[in-house]
Amino acid sequence: MFKEKIGTKTILPLGTTILGIIFSVIGFFKYGFWDENIGTLPGFFPTIIGLLLTGISILALFQSINDEKNSSRKENWYPVLAVILIIIGNFIFGMYISLFAFLIYWVRFYEKCSWKETIVIFTIMFVIVVGAFGAWLNINFPKGLIYNLLF
Amino acid sequence: MQNLELLFTGFVTVFSVQNVLVTMLGAVLGLLIGAMPGIGSLAGVALLLPLTYKFNPTTAIIMLGALYYSNMYGGSFSAILLNIPGDSPAVMTAIDGYPMATKRKRPGQALYTSNISSFTGGLIGICILTFMGPALAELGLKFGPAEMTSLLLVAMTSIGWLVGSNPTKGVVLTAVGILIASMGMDTLTGSPRFDFGSMYLLGGVPFIPFVIGTVGFAQVMKLVDEKDKKSNNIINEKLTIKGSMISLHELKRLLPPAIRSGFLGTFVGVLPGAGATTGAFLGYATQKAFKSEEPLGTGAIEGIAACESANNAAAAGSFAPLLALGIPGSGTGAVLLGGLMMWGLNPGPLLFTNQPEFCWSLIASLFLANIITLFIALGIIPFLVRILTVPIKLMIPAITMVCIVGSYSSTNSLYGVVVMLISGVFGFLFEKNGYSTAPMLLSFVLAPLLESNMRKAFIISHGSLDFFVKSPISLVLVILLILIISTPIIRGSLKIVKNKKQNKK
Repeated sequence: MFKEKIGTKTILPLGTTILGIIFSVIGFFKYGFWDENIGTLPGFFPTIIGLLLTGISILALFQSINDEKNSSRKENWYPVLAVILIIIGNFIFGMYISLFAFLIYWVRFYEKCSWKETIVIFTIMFVIVVGAFGAWLNINFPKGLIYNLLF
Repeated sequence: MQNLELLFTGFVTVFSVQNVLVTMLGAVLGLLIGAMPGIGSLAGVALLLPLTYKFNPTTAIIMLGALYYSNMYGGSFSAILLNIPGDSPAVMTAIDGYPMATKRKRPGQALYTSNISSFTGGLIGICILTFMGPALAELGLKFGPAEMTSLLLVAMTSIGWLVGSNPTKGVVLTAVGILIASMGMDTLTGSPRFDFGSMYLLGGVPFIPFVIGTVGFAQVMKLVDEKDKKSNNIINEKLTIKGSMISLHELKRLLPPAIRSGFLGTFVGVLPGAGATTGAFLGYATQKAFKSEEPLGTGAIEGIAACESANNAAAAGSFAPLLALGIPGSGTGAVLLGGLMMWGLNPGPLLFTNQPEFCWSLIASLFLANIITLFIALGIIPFLVRILTVPIKLMIPAITMVCIVGSYSSTNSLYGVVVMLISGVFGFLFEKNGYSTAPMLLSFVLAPLLESNMRKAFIISHGSLDFFVKSPISLVLVILLILIISTPIIRGSLKIVKNKKQNKK
């Protein structure tokens, strides 16, 4: 029964409560709150906001019990997985190859679009990523381990 | 009169070949991104922010202004043709826009009405901004640390309180945004704070990856739910520019509500926290009190004109507190403010005197962007309609790639991508559970200003709270703050009492 009530709707306010406690405790004890001669110290503001967050999060936590359960589908997390793989791939193959490998895989093999659609979207994204960011904005994207070994 | 002279100087700056081209580019990109269903002006401006890196500060700010403005235009396209509002102000546009496009089979005319009304409202808003901005800045000069603290608290609370259905959740994310912003360096002493031993966190959480993740990447995760939706039939019909035009009689019908809503929307836009969405709601509600040739909600031109004009006027009006006091009126305004600050612009009372070139160029660019966007929007209606046929399943990988390269380019390291990913995941989870992320973005941008003013106020007053009620301006703002905080509580209590009474009966 209780298990059913726990989900992100409960975890989120619980997390913000902990965040509030961490910031107020560290703010107060590590960075300081008030000094008679100097006045406010670096921990002054985060301590106040941390305490406010803790209080209001506890209220949100109680309110969340009556909220409807919001479950996400596992498909919602595929883009997250894709970004993680691109970050890993970036170290080995470089940013460009990782990004375009992801694009082709997603469009052609995951969404099962035609090769024509794949080529069109590939071209558009090539112009944006390589043309606008790489060439125009001069962003030096990582080339990856393999490129660095070869060249 | 002096304002007009300064505005003229702004136009001289804006009318260079590069700036006009940049305004056009910003207008086209803003329209395209704003027209894409499910992206919206907030994510649109966030995704396009890195494109301004290439320019000098003045040109970059001009482009930002054009991007912001044209995004407002674009948001109505998917609302009218797909019944999917591109952003929250376009929710009201869909009420009459979609029936006009589908039931009355006049999608082109609905888009024309929307564009001309947006132009009218925007023009009124920018004209008022031209005269009111410096006046507001003069008032702002009377603001000391206590007044600024009270004002910033009003702005943050009203956004947290007004956006979303649950004020508690709004305040939670407002506080989260402030705490995230407090990581890095202390605003007054410059000493490291909350870096948790990470050298990356010493510089704080970078704004652009944070905002791209919170709105852009979170949107990608949400779009997955909609990727199998089929496109609407009406957008497969061929639209031509000529066939989309409205008659003189229809123009006469749309002008009175558009002008009325233009003034109303500007007034709403000036209020911190109200923004374009409130403007659109009020514009539509006001129109109900006036005569419409067709009943509202059935595809009435007056309905589209009232809310479209109001939301664009509010978008222009919100520049007044943004430039003069440094207070954005909405989430999109907060992103824009972050972008302006990135370019060395410090919005506040002294902006109009210290950085007039920036300021008046931005206002002049809004005039130019309004005209250019209107012509581009009217001219490319048939093409823009095709944009809406882009399947969401193709937009998911495309936006993901833009999120990655955009966040990488702002930090020149994968740290930006990691920040984007983490903030995207939390943005998605928060939105999924009914937390609006707009207050978090607003508080993230405003937190350093609030902290420095609050601490200065306490240092001056030696820790006494009396300081906040001693000056009349601060006292009024404190009363306003109490009213904002207590209104939902009183309303909620009244609702409970009413429900109890009904249950007894």
